[in-house]
Amino acid sequence: MSTEDVAEVQPGSVESPAETAGLDDGIEREIDHDEFDPIGTVILIGMYMLILIIMWTLMYFVEFLGHGPSIIG
Amino acid sequence: MDIHRYEKIWIGISLLFVLGLIATVTYGAVGAGVKTIGNQGGTVNPNDLQNTPFGNPGVRKVGPNHYAVYVVARQFYYQPGTGKPITVPAGSDVTFYVTSADVIHGFEVVDTNINSMAIPGEVSKFTVHFDKPAKYGIICNEYCGVGHGSMQGRLNVVPQSQFNLTEANQ
Repeated sequence: MSTEDVAEVQPGSVESPAETAGLDDGIEREIDHDEFDPIGTVILIGMYMLILIIMWTLMYFVEFLGHGPSIIG
Repeated sequence: MDIHRYEKIWIGISLLFVLGLIATVTYGAVGAGVKTIGNQGGTVNPNDLQNTPFGNPGVRKVGPNHYAVYVVARQFYYQPGTGKPITVPAGSDVTFYVTSADVIHGFEVVDTNINSMAIPGEVSKFTVHFDKPAKYGIICNEYCGVGHGSMQGRLNVVPQSQFNLTEANQ
């Protein structure tokens, strides 16, 4: 890419050479947006979510509601 | 905007989780009937408790199976509670009226959900149903001075057959 090509790119365009210049070198395979498949991250966050749900359930229904007497009025 | 399918799923689960939190708290308030303490107890002059029901604190019978307990918190005891335990019968509704004569105290019945502040000038009013006989401790959970750590009391829930209103106030 010559310096003239860079100068022709409008500011705010999607493929701004200023952002991608120098990064193209390491690309081995380009994929679409939905082809990106971080399944490991999904599983990890899913496990965090499961822990959160279990902890909330234990805290609210066992530790709180199960620890009567409670204030009823 | 292009949103990845995992992000769509994640947004959906997050919204469901928030709805779940709201649903559980709503169930606690409506289904299980757990209430919070409001300002329905009114106010009182902390320098003139003698001329209020707190001038003679203790247990009163206010209806069939319904008792009222007036408690004054002071540095560093509950009256009644510390010198003699608060005694109420099992299977009854008990409305507590708690205030303070000096500084802010706490009124926490240990290992239960009964927990209130005792604020000079304010009356904390709350009702509790005691199912079965038990012995509870009461502790102050608001720092109230040098004796705060030893400020404690007792609450005894006795069987109906053993409850005597006169004895409870002696």
